[in-house]
Amino acid sequence: MSGFTHLNVASAFSGHYGVTRPELLDEAAVALGFDALAVADRDGLYGSVKHIGACLKLGIQPIVGVNLCVLSETGEALARCVILAHGQNRGAGWAKLCAITSAAHAGRRNNNKREYPVAIKRSKLAQLIGDDGGCTILLGPDSDVGRATLASSQGAGGSQGAGGAQGAAQSALAAWLACFKLPGSLAIEVVTHLTEPGTAYSTLQAQRMLQLADHNKVPAVLTNAVRYLQPDDALTADVLDAARFLEPLGFFEPQPNAQAWLKPSEAMHAIAVEVAGDRTRALQLIETTNRLAARCKLDAPNDCGWGKPKTPEKSALGIDGNPFEVLWQKAHDGIERFYPRASARTLQEVQHRLSKELITISKLGFATYFLTVADVAQMIRDMKIRSQARGSGAGSLVNYLLGISGVDPIEHDLLFERFLSTERSSLPDIDIDVESARRHDIYNAIFKRYGSSRVTLLSMQSTYRGRGAMRDSGLALGLEDDQIDDIAKNMWRFSARSFRGALGTKPELAKFAEAVEEDRRMNLLVDITERLDRLPRHISMHPCGVILGDTSLLQLTSVEPSGMGLPMSQFDKDDMDPMGMLKLDVLGVRMQSAMAYAVREAARVRGEAIDLDNVPRDDAATYKLIRTTDTLGIFQIESPGQRELTGKHQPTEFNDLTIQISLFRPGPMKGNMIAPYLDGRHGFAKPDFIHRDLEPILRESWGIVIFHEHVLRILNVMTGCGLARADEFRRSLENPRVKPIVEEFFRRETKLRGYPQAVIDRVWSILEGFSSFGFCKAHGAAFALPTYQSAWLKTHYPTEFMAGLFTHDPGMYPRRLLLSEARRLGVKILPLNVNRSTDEYLVEKVARKTTDVNEPEIGVRMSLVDVQGISNAEIARIIAEQPFDSVGDFYMRAKPSRRTLERLALVGALDELTGDTAATRGDIMARVRQLNSVKTRPTLRSDQPTLDFEIGEQLPTGNAEPTLAQKINDELNIMHMDVSDHVIEQYRPMLDAMGVLRSDELVGLRSKTDVLVAGVRVATQTPPMRSGKRVVFITLDDGAGCSDATFFDEAQSRCSSVLFNTRLMVIAGKTRRTGVRGVSLMAENAWDLTELWNQWLAAKAS
Amino acid sequence: MLRIDEKVSVLVNQLGEPIGFSWRGASYLVNSKPVRWFARKQWWVDAARVQRGIGAGVLEVEMWRLQASRSESDRAQFELIHNAQSNSWQLARIFN
Repeated sequence: MSGFTHLNVASAFSGHYGVTRPELLDEAAVALGFDALAVADRDGLYGSVKHIGACLKLGIQPIVGVNLCVLSETGEALARCVILAHGQNRGAGWAKLCAITSAAHAGRRNNNKREYPVAIKRSKLAQLIGDDGGCTILLGPDSDVGRATLASSQGAGGSQGAGGAQGAAQSALAAWLACFKLPGSLAIEVVTHLTEPGTAYSTLQAQRMLQLADHNKVPAVLTNAVRYLQPDDALTADVLDAARFLEPLGFFEPQPNAQAWLKPSEAMHAIAVEVAGDRTRALQLIETTNRLAARCKLDAPNDCGWGKPKTPEKSALGIDGNPFEVLWQKAHDGIERFYPRASARTLQEVQHRLSKELITISKLGFATYFLTVADVAQMIRDMKIRSQARGSGAGSLVNYLLGISGVDPIEHDLLFERFLSTERSSLPDIDIDVESARRHDIYNAIFKRYGSSRVTLLSMQSTYRGRGAMRDSGLALGLEDDQIDDIAKNMWRFSARSFRGALGTKPELAKFAEAVEEDRRMNLLVDITERLDRLPRHISMHPCGVILGDTSLLQLTSVEPSGMGLPMSQFDKDDMDPMGMLKLDVLGVRMQSAMAYAVREAARVRGEAIDLDNVPRDDAATYKLIRTTDTLGIFQIESPGQRELTGKHQPTEFNDLTIQISLFRPGPMKGNMIAPYLDGRHGFAKPDFIHRDLEPILRESWGIVIFHEHVLRILNVMTGCGLARADEFRRSLENPRVKPIVEEFFRRETKLRGYPQAVIDRVWSILEGFSSFGFCKAHGAAFALPTYQSAWLKTHYPTEFMAGLFTHDPGMYPRRLLLSEARRLGVKILPLNVNRSTDEYLVEKVARKTTDVNEPEIGVRMSLVDVQGISNAEIARIIAEQPFDSVGDFYMRAKPSRRTLERLALVGALDELTGDTAATRGDIMARVRQLNSVKTRPTLRSDQPTLDFEIGEQLPTGNAEPTLAQKINDELNIMHMDVSDHVIEQYRPMLDAMGVLRSDELVGLRSKTDVLVAGVRVATQTPPMRSGKRVVFITLDDGAGCSDATFFDEAQSRCSSVLFNTRLMVIAGKTRRTGVRGVSLMAENAWDLTELWNQWLAAKAS
Repeated sequence: MLRIDEKVSVLVNQLGEPIGFSWRGASYLVNSKPVRWFARKQWWVDAARVQRGIGAGVLEVEMWRLQASRSESDRAQFELIHNAQSNSWQLARIFN
């Protein structure tokens, strides 16, 4: 017999159904001797590009289909069918498959598959397949036909007794044949999973399906309805089923057995014989299968547009003539705009560089691509939205001159070759950061500008990681939610794939490890969590990707609705390059929104227009603020580690920020590059440039190789290879197979040029080690810009800036820490007030209370959005009805729910409504309780007297004002912020008695002083370490600033109970000086502050 | 239907199909084409471990359904379980 081709295979991209990634299936197919393989994922073409790519790489033929639910006219599910695209027809079959798949998602308003199931009506499917075919539908066991063959076979008697069943199956098939008259558009799929005779997927069912096909002269093909590679994977499939049904195992009908694996050819032939009964018919079955396979083999370039770049047509970009000439003109126009006062020498450099870049772009034929990105960038600017290019694109002068990037590559010494060169032909990535709050506006504008036939959003497949894998595993085993929560809380920084290994080594898992010893279910939990790890979990909208193409886009990709409603491609970012699709990253950055907000508030309240993109980048006050390490809220350098580094580094200019951002990465930290850099900078050690040729390249970094640009220049200088090839070599360093070739080239060329052997050896070891480290300087510089801008705002407009941070929440810290920082900066915090608060944190003018001219005349008003449980409708009503003149008036017009009214009163938002300074918050609460006790709320109508709610209400009197501690407690409960005062203050008597230091006192201490600090936990980090050991960093805020404590192994095991989950802490440790302004604690022990407090109170009482 | 769940010794042909077995001291001769199928187990109820690579034996079990008889008169349908790993057999059920 000839070979066999599997036509029904679901990959792991069949969410919560398939188990094996397409690449693995393809590799296995090769090992099994198959010359082709189909992947047909459930509900989409999710895995198809990866499948095609793997097939091309492995030299087998790709076949692609989709597995869809087909509905009757009345909406009942008829079948789950595999629909295969025919190939070698210049994309006709592929386009149809895309259209069918997209149609199955049309009408779903969002990507909630529960609410809007993915399905297509049979009539719609017939209409799409039409008269010219292009696809074949497989009707298998999971169809009305397949189910009908079983209908009356439960009793004994075999095929004779099933006459009635065959009758029902016959008429079900007839209905399909009536819809799909075109020969070849319908086939019967014969499958047996060797289940109990007479049940679904049994050999008996397969036999009846085959008889039915023969009787009706419909082609029959054999598949194994594969959903995993090996029998062992069936266990994983069970767990995925539980996740799909959202039910524990045992609560739903599980798969019948473990037969749905990628069986080898011989096994499939044996099945054919078992089903057909005789070898001739079996042979026919295999041959029909292989013939359909041959018809479906895709010619990737011609069927799917594989590897062919697609950009919008000239007409869509509004250009006439040659795109390159248009680009040339636009770039040259930019010279005058961006270099108005440049010297002749600079202009010459600009001209030279520009010509070089344009030649490369012309050679690659990417002019349209650049024009497209420039067009989008211009559109964003026209919308008055802050934007900023990031990534290697900032290294391009063309990008700067077209207004795509805001960083001058000449001034910052950035290389174009790192971004684009003739050595590579893939479309480069240009990423644009925009205000996060306006991101969707931009997406909508892009769809409007280019038309929905040319644009889709990009999707993203999220995968199972540690906690997610454990949660779904726990659900499958029917564990209690809080049991799952308990375990999840202690899962920190390890791959779920090595869950069992982590049990023995992580102190916080010690309790769970004991449970695993004793409890069989916990043991299973560990095993299946490891199985789920890394599997695709669900598809969602990519946070920033937009695909721009020509009008053929929707014939090349299937789409489904995204969370925001706009269509989204079923392909992910890794699929873009192979498919030749242009992906533009428009990434929402909250900091950009926060800065735009600060600028807006400065204009509104002070009448000052700030041109943030053009403020001088050498403002001394700004660098001074950064050097104090009070960098909370500043882009990129606010984390505890960056603050520590800032203390040591003490930046004085823009390039320092670029370097610092690039240094604080896992690579340089692991490679121990920070210390020698700092030593060189501070003059503790003489910088070592290795060779005088390298000095000009590494002068900025004191002899340390930090940037990709350094590597390119070193390779170029020492071998003369040119910068473009140098970047190829740099990329090759990451590939262990190609690295030896680069090494040989490097050693040969450097030797020829007469470099001493010791220099060659040293430089090579640095380059070799660099492969995993480096950072693109253009990227660092692009990041440094918002870093500088946010620091500048914090320095000169702290109130507006903090208001922007509160409103857009850009950073890593909770809002209450920012509040503490604002208070520390002297920014006035204005309490919640229903007459003034809105859905934003507005800046307000306030009168000075003192004669101090430094006292700000503005403050930040707290926002209604932080009140727990308040609805958007309530906020909108409050804003619309402002101002109010009494509690009753507020009650009548703002119509808050009882709970919201009470909460607003508790945090003082109604204090101003009394008009009576003698009234206490207790009185207001009493009034609120009066109002809340009314059963039905009276309506405000002019023809009805509203007796009790008239203006001039009488407040109850004589109720006590709550204490400050009570107020803070209410604020924390309701707003999660201590607005009136820092929460730690109420514990001050005990802390003073214990000798606990304030965080700002630490900087004055010597190294290795024993201290106690206390505060609210604001950050917990477990960064990767050079030694591979885990280190836990905890940052506490005590109102005076932050203190950072480091827990090594011993300290971790000593305080494992408080390590990750305690909010208010006291930490004991030794100070460790790390630089001029740098101090951190080596933690020795830690306690729960509230527990200490209770003990202290008890001790005091006795 | 009778649940039995007792060990039996089975005689198989070259294809691995049972042709006869002895149970409770009596010999049974298979007189139909035996049908093999795979049933499943609820591993979450009884398995101790299900780590990657443990194999499908935790999940599924090989079953054989066949007609057999001791003599001409008492022909019945039997269900045997085959454990491929230990190559042992068990009589699961008898249908009359």
